[in-house]
Amino acid sequence: MPEYQLTINGKSQPVEAPADMPLLWVLRDVLDLTGTKYGCGVGSCGACTVLINGKPIRSCQYTAAASVGKTVTTIEGLSEEGTHVVQQAWMEINVPQCGYCQAGQIMTSVALLQTFPQPTDEQIDEAMQGLVCRCGTYARIKKAIHKAAELGNK
Amino acid sequence: MQRRAFIQLSSFLSGGWVVAQLVPLPVFAADDPICFQPSPLIKLCSDGKIIVYVYKQEMGQGVQTSLPIIVAEEMEADPKQVIAEALPYSASSGFNYSTGGSTSILREFMPLRKAGAAAREMLIKAAANEWGISVDNCRAQKSRVINTTTNQSIAFKDLIAKASALPIPKDPVLKNYKDFTVIGKPGVKKNNIRDIVTGKLKYGLDFRVPNMLFAVIVRCPVMGGKVASWDKQSVATIDGIVELFEMKEMGDQLETRSGVAIVANTRWAALRAQKSLQVQLNYPAGANEKSSATYFAEQATRLQKAPDMIYNEKGAAVKDMPQPDGEWITASYQIPFVAHAAMEPLNCIADFSNGKFTLWGGFQNPGKTASVATKFFGLTSKDIFINLMPLGGGFGRRLSADYSAEAMQVAYQIKRPVQLMFTREDDMKFDNYRPASSHILSAKLGADKKPADWLHKIAIAPVADYLLGMKGNNNWLAMEAEGGSMGDMYYAIPSLRSAVSRTPSPLVEGWWRAVNFSYNNVVIECFIDELAKKAGVDPVEYRLSLLKNMPARKIKDGTLFDPARLAAVVELAAEKIDWNKKRGAGKGVGIACCFYNHAKAYTAHAFEVSVSKTKKIKILRAVVATDVGLVIDPDGFANQVEGGFVWGLSAVLKSEITLANGAVQQSSFFDFQVARMPDVPALEIYVIPSNAEPGGAGETSVPSVIPGLMNAIAAATGVRVRELPLKNKGYTI
Repeated sequence: MPEYQLTINGKSQPVEAPADMPLLWVLRDVLDLTGTKYGCGVGSCGACTVLINGKPIRSCQYTAAASVGKTVTTIEGLSEEGTHVVQQAWMEINVPQCGYCQAGQIMTSVALLQTFPQPTDEQIDEAMQGLVCRCGTYARIKKAIHKAAELGNK
Repeated sequence: MQRRAFIQLSSFLSGGWVVAQLVPLPVFAADDPICFQPSPLIKLCSDGKIIVYVYKQEMGQGVQTSLPIIVAEEMEADPKQVIAEALPYSASSGFNYSTGGSTSILREFMPLRKAGAAAREMLIKAAANEWGISVDNCRAQKSRVINTTTNQSIAFKDLIAKASALPIPKDPVLKNYKDFTVIGKPGVKKNNIRDIVTGKLKYGLDFRVPNMLFAVIVRCPVMGGKVASWDKQSVATIDGIVELFEMKEMGDQLETRSGVAIVANTRWAALRAQKSLQVQLNYPAGANEKSSATYFAEQATRLQKAPDMIYNEKGAAVKDMPQPDGEWITASYQIPFVAHAAMEPLNCIADFSNGKFTLWGGFQNPGKTASVATKFFGLTSKDIFINLMPLGGGFGRRLSADYSAEAMQVAYQIKRPVQLMFTREDDMKFDNYRPASSHILSAKLGADKKPADWLHKIAIAPVADYLLGMKGNNNWLAMEAEGGSMGDMYYAIPSLRSAVSRTPSPLVEGWWRAVNFSYNNVVIECFIDELAKKAGVDPVEYRLSLLKNMPARKIKDGTLFDPARLAAVVELAAEKIDWNKKRGAGKGVGIACCFYNHAKAYTAHAFEVSVSKTKKIKILRAVVATDVGLVIDPDGFANQVEGGFVWGLSAVLKSEITLANGAVQQSSFFDFQVARMPDVPALEIYVIPSNAEPGGAGETSVPSVIPGLMNAIAAATGVRVRELPLKNKGYTI
């Protein structure tokens, strides 16, 4: 089995995985980083979104091989105790219901706020429209992104 | 030193607040806290922890947040010290673990209040004994008992040992609502929110047990089809396959398909093999010719004939089919199959060793797995232990036991722990769908322009056909009639008949958030608007004229229905949407209401929309007025109401499951469409303050979204759409 040197959440480590195994399953089943969720496996829901060099990427559509030489950040790498400004905003607005999609929502929001530190509603809609939340927490997610922008500015 | 601890248990099984009993606990180490249980549902410990055992399942609706609040309130405990723990499934506990129908708070409110009050009285008594004073000179506040004469106080945790020796009060005195300091107060956060935002919360699919294998199944896409053979060579090049074997259908109430199980050392190997495995299938004659079109045609034909069941009949009962004498107003509605599509695809870990099953996963009804799925193996509910994990969405799908039963069949075969996962495609194609139904509504207006005669005919397959094993039992048609779940017509109509006919379903059906309200309430609320238009009466006025000045009455299921409360939410929603404002061409307002009988909720949704010539809908404003009685956790409640709104928007605008050649056509979120962020406008929520018995929110916040929006679109365009979803008629948002 091929071995890849991957940088995940700031830690460089060798990872053995089949060449065609999506990064999603490398994270979850090889490295036990289960915060990144499987939702559809075909890029239609966004639950598995992680940051690759700071950009939001569907980990179900990405491989370990493609991750070599790049930084991978998962929900676990944002902060251990929820101190990241986006996590703080999520808690303040009391966003989640079941919570299953929220890692993908949070990682996408982190990337959005990198690009637009004070995003408009339209920019938020544009960035988040690829993600599904069946519990229907969209309004709170939007509110929390604005809250994170505000907290990040302090 | 070792110390034998006893916990004191009082049982409220079978609804009673009965016997107190002493149950020995295992021997504790010396530094373990002393704990006691004044009820099976709460445990108080000398380290200050107060544990509330929640046997209703956490699926996002917030039971692990709201139920502990009830205990904290009655105990006068500091809410921060009250911790929720999921109670593992035990058939012998007598608890009804089944979680659905928006009934958790409704059912748990009084038992938890009693449990908390009993604990409070015991702690106060222990403190009073300590001080040698009467309990009348003591009160509890923020996890302490206070001597009201001296202002001395003792922490609850320092009273545990003494309180545990006291008798459990049989009839503890409950607090007055006016003294509530925790229930109904804002600012409560979801109890597990930090674990969610840090990715630490483990759902079923995140769990692993030692020595575990991974399984997926290739299922026959057509109901009743059977696996004839499969070609092992087609997956020969994939490393890590442990075993391939035939999956047998597991019969009534489980309704699993014939298939081939693929068990592998890694999930990825199993997933690759599922894509590659060549399987030969046999179909019963005609099974692979069924389609949505043939099913709806069958329903339309069936509606023209005499019904299988007359559910409700009163007044000078109308004939089965209205006479075409020009006075009758008739409309036909058609509602499709829809999937649950919870974000966490179905999964279950099963292990079979020493003749017993152990399961890990998310369940809305673990009791069904324990009592029904075990039978397939000649076992009983005593032969299974179920570890209950948080659910990545339920919406009714996890009331079924097909996914756990299949995991059990795999584990039984391979004699190792195994995690069965449904891929999203499996989850979409092998759901237990919200039934598809067709409706004829007919009415004749009286001299006062109100409906004098009313006929509602439904063609449907009852959910009970499959999930309760009731195929052919016409009593279960009642569950699909009128307002929903055995509720009857909420408007005052002197003469009416509602009737149901069975059209056996080509797909397995299940309970879906808002169940039969998601079709019956929809068509009734749309048709009432059609009648109002014909009568030339404003739709709000029309509804109020059919609700006002009617006494509260018991409906068929015994629930008390108060028309004044339903009228009140209609009036409030109308006022907030600014109903009477003049609006320009292409704009309109619409309203709909729902009495959700089994969760005791009154809801009205109102919309202001504009619709372009190209059928592009813009929701300018959306308003909901609700009366669910006493609200426990206002922000958690609001989150449910917001979620119900999104659920309804998906159903009215986009979602449908279609059938072709006997198989489901949709496979993921690109073809089973749901509302996404840009589709969802802000929802203005208005809650009628109430001290009535607390009702439910999860399902009750859904139904009136759908007809409310349909009525607004009809008002804006002058065109009435009678088929869902609206996208099929060219509407976009």
